[in-house]
Amino acid sequence: MSATLTNAGTTRKAAPPAGARAKRLTTSAVIKIIIGVLLVVEIYPLFWLLSSSLKTKDEIVSSPLWSLPSSLQFSNYVEAFTTGSLGRNALNSLIVTVPSLFLIIVLGAAAGFALEVMLWKGRNAVLFLIVGGMMVPLQMVLLPLFTIYYQTGIANSYLPLIITYVGHGLPLTVFLMATYFRAIPREIFEASTLDGGGAFRAFFSVGLPMVRNGIFTVALLQFFSVWNDLLIALTFNIDSKLSTIQVGLLHFSDEYGAINYGPLFAAISMLVFSTLAIYLAINQQVMRGLTAGSVKG
Amino acid sequence: MNIRTNARRAGAVIAFAAGTSLVLAGCAGGGSGDGASTGATEFSVLVTNENTQTGQLFDILKENQCATEEKALPYTLSQTPSADMQSKIQLLSGQDALPVFYAGTQSLVKPGGDLEKAGQVLDLRQTFDDLGVLDQVTPAAQSVIEQLYDGAFPTIPLQFNIEGIFYNKKIFADNNIEIPTTLDELTEAADKLKAAGVTPIVASGKTGWTISRWLGAMIYSELGPDALSKVASGDAKLTDPEYVKVAQQLQDLGPDFIDGITNLDYDTMNAQMLNGDAAMMYMGTWFLANVNNPDQNKVGDDIGFFQFPGIDGYPANVGSPNVINAKLYNDGVGGWLSCIAKNWGSEALKTQGSFSGFVVNDPVADLPPLTADIQDKISKAPGSVLWFEGLFTPKANADSSANAAPLLTGAMSAEDFMGLIQGDLDSGQ
Amino acid sequence: MKHVLGNKKAIAVLLLPALLIYLGVMVVPAIWSFVLSFMDGSPVVGFEFVGLKNFEHLFSDKEALNALLFTLKYAIIISVGQILLGYALALLYTFVLRKSSTFIRTMVFFPVVLPTVAIALLFGKLFSVSPQEGPINSIIGLFGAPAVDWFATGENAFIVIVIMDLWRSMGFFAILLYAGLIEIPEEILDSARIDGAGGLRLVWNIVVPVSLPVLMATIIFSLNSSLKVFDSILALNNGGPGSATTPLNLLMYKTAFTYGDFGYGSTLALVITVVCLAATLLVFRSSRRDLTKG
Repeated sequence: MSATLTNAGTTRKAAPPAGARAKRLTTSAVIKIIIGVLLVVEIYPLFWLLSSSLKTKDEIVSSPLWSLPSSLQFSNYVEAFTTGSLGRNALNSLIVTVPSLFLIIVLGAAAGFALEVMLWKGRNAVLFLIVGGMMVPLQMVLLPLFTIYYQTGIANSYLPLIITYVGHGLPLTVFLMATYFRAIPREIFEASTLDGGGAFRAFFSVGLPMVRNGIFTVALLQFFSVWNDLLIALTFNIDSKLSTIQVGLLHFSDEYGAINYGPLFAAISMLVFSTLAIYLAINQQVMRGLTAGSVKG
Repeated sequence: MNIRTNARRAGAVIAFAAGTSLVLAGCAGGGSGDGASTGATEFSVLVTNENTQTGQLFDILKENQCATEEKALPYTLSQTPSADMQSKIQLLSGQDALPVFYAGTQSLVKPGGDLEKAGQVLDLRQTFDDLGVLDQVTPAAQSVIEQLYDGAFPTIPLQFNIEGIFYNKKIFADNNIEIPTTLDELTEAADKLKAAGVTPIVASGKTGWTISRWLGAMIYSELGPDALSKVASGDAKLTDPEYVKVAQQLQDLGPDFIDGITNLDYDTMNAQMLNGDAAMMYMGTWFLANVNNPDQNKVGDDIGFFQFPGIDGYPANVGSPNVINAKLYNDGVGGWLSCIAKNWGSEALKTQGSFSGFVVNDPVADLPPLTADIQDKISKAPGSVLWFEGLFTPKANADSSANAAPLLTGAMSAEDFMGLIQGDLDSGQ
Repeated sequence: MKHVLGNKKAIAVLLLPALLIYLGVMVVPAIWSFVLSFMDGSPVVGFEFVGLKNFEHLFSDKEALNALLFTLKYAIIISVGQILLGYALALLYTFVLRKSSTFIRTMVFFPVVLPTVAIALLFGKLFSVSPQEGPINSIIGLFGAPAVDWFATGENAFIVIVIMDLWRSMGFFAILLYAGLIEIPEEILDSARIDGAGGLRLVWNIVVPVSLPVLMATIIFSLNSSLKVFDSILALNNGGPGSATTPLNLLMYKTAFTYGDFGYGSTLALVITVVCLAATLLVFRSSRRDLTKG
């Protein structure tokens, strides 16, 4: 077993020779070209972002897309920090994202287990009710939620964001976790209960380790959906001291529609590259953990 | 998959949901709070993130001219992105949680608008009069506000801008073009520039009002200063032949606008003008902030400003509404209001070079030439008119902005465009 | 030992926290919004019951019909694209790149990290005509064709939207599907190879059926998210020119929050939910047929 983005795939044996050597060569050439194109298409925007963050506003709007900055405008980065209050907003984003993600995963995996592995009447209906959450447009629950948060007196805190992210993230998480649990043969769970273990042991010691891949996939997807959310953050943010990064990015435009491009790109660059750095760091950790505690070959 | 068998149960779940909803409807109805307010305890201000000027000026005023008022009722600022302002105002209002001073939306604030009906909009004419500072509001600003709000006075004119055509003097001189005084001369000038390989007119399709303002100005120019108020009152329709004809005229002028206008954004438009790549741009005088910024302006004093040909006076506006919450009004708020009325005009011109609807009590020397020229034009203007969407409903406003570029490029006919907007106005949305 | 896995207390502890939050955040507000669709008004002045007025309006609303048709067109094309491209990438990761796929996976996934605003700006520039010709128009120019004003017509703008959204999401879907593929035991593949199945036949006969649960889940997710498309179009061209590329969700948001008509906005939200429900049920039904066949 391996994790979706972290680990390097299952250790498979080399495929048996399937055809002539020539055929294999052309196949590998085609694949190399595909990969090359993929990489250009995916990496170029990173480069564009970085070079734009060092341009003057006039260069950004008036020069061709691929042009390089004529002089390096590091002042964009300074301005990104001062007008965008980037540090404060990044901290807010973390304060909101970490507990949301934790709750989404723990609650979602537990519910997925209760709905897929545990046996009880009505579980299918409940699963369908939860999956139904994927069909409700988020925009329309904003007004009722705003009222609820206001009336309960929690409007001016991080709580509305965290609660909303968890509630909104659960349908997909439960749905996917149930799908992953379904792939595990039932006998494994039943065997664990034969040893005298309870349902919780079946969940924590047997279920969770076996869907580690799935958990990692879901965590990855949910992290980015929470981290990149603008709509919820914007609606429930009343005090600008509590703004997340995505809301902060809106600070770079003026009343009539002008955008302060240089600092905006500087802020986005810092955001994207720090996210990638965090990701790669965690990646190393998770990979080590996964290879250390491998359950099945 | 277990879920497959669930398909059959979906109906049951929905029926359950429908049943519960009736119970909940009862709960939802009782939620509206009726908090008995005893007036403001702080001078809380809510403006858009994008509006940095207002906060800057309040910071100066509270330290200096309005220090006593600040002591009596401390000033606090909160901001929200403009994209979110309208929904935020509605949501806060529903909870009776609006601050003392907030940036409203015209349709909500005008007589009969939701906020006005809910008693959250203070009548400023009465208030300024009681405070003895009504004479601090310029007659031009009062006239624009009254036109916009059916005679009411719900907004503090922290800004006052006139609109017209900014042009590149050098391009005009190089091509032997005089400032046009009629619409025909304007069209001729644009055609001549196009033939000479210059972009005659720049506007932004992404910021549709930069195009629809042309339509409004042309309607005033061709049909007179009351042409759009007649549409608002129902005495005329945009689908009337003379109105459609003007829309057609704008479409005919389309080829003289910059290529690829549909997705051109506001900044690229400004840069075209400030780099000397385009000859003309319809814009409000807030553009002076860009003109006076040497980092942006590459053509220096070559930027000039002229009145839209054929209009007596200028289309003018007072910025987005700045409203005082009537429910929170008390003497402290009154103190702030008279301090603002007496000092805002001079301070805005002095520190930001921007115009407001308040009298400048303290003349400012050393203004940049174009700023001084425009200040002079404002003070001598015979009267002012609104802009195309000035009296529109929110839906008509949005549709006009979204369809301005298709009208210009010919992707939408003049009849369809005017029909769409008139339909929005008729349905009252 | 069925009773251990049927332990009511354990079920409650595992399920209830998630269920309660979900009910509070999604279900109660959704029902609340459903009730609003029978009302007129706004949070400022309160709501009053108007019966079926909003639904009558719905059936004569050409704009809503256009938005619905656009949404369906978009959702079908995007879902097919997401699944095909995502599956192709997942196969590439699993069977071709294997151990060395980490870097490519990360890079293809990377657009998800980018804020929507940045992606929209990038694609606006890529497809621009003026003041600078964007790269796409330059490439077209190499073949001697005239430059295209991509955002001037609904058809062309739609092409840009599709390319942008597929570029942005294919890595994401590849990861979702990859999670299903790496679970396939090596023995199954080996025995299939011994039977002489190779290339596409191996994929179709062995890989697809085994990864079917994850594939179905992904298709359902793809449909439900593309039927609710909102922010990418809002940021790229605000549904323009005119309203030619305005999906239902954007129309609904504008109706409620910009035009202040919360009742009709809720009605449009209900339409979206019903369309999503219908699409999901359709996928469930067809998947059952596939299973009995295979």
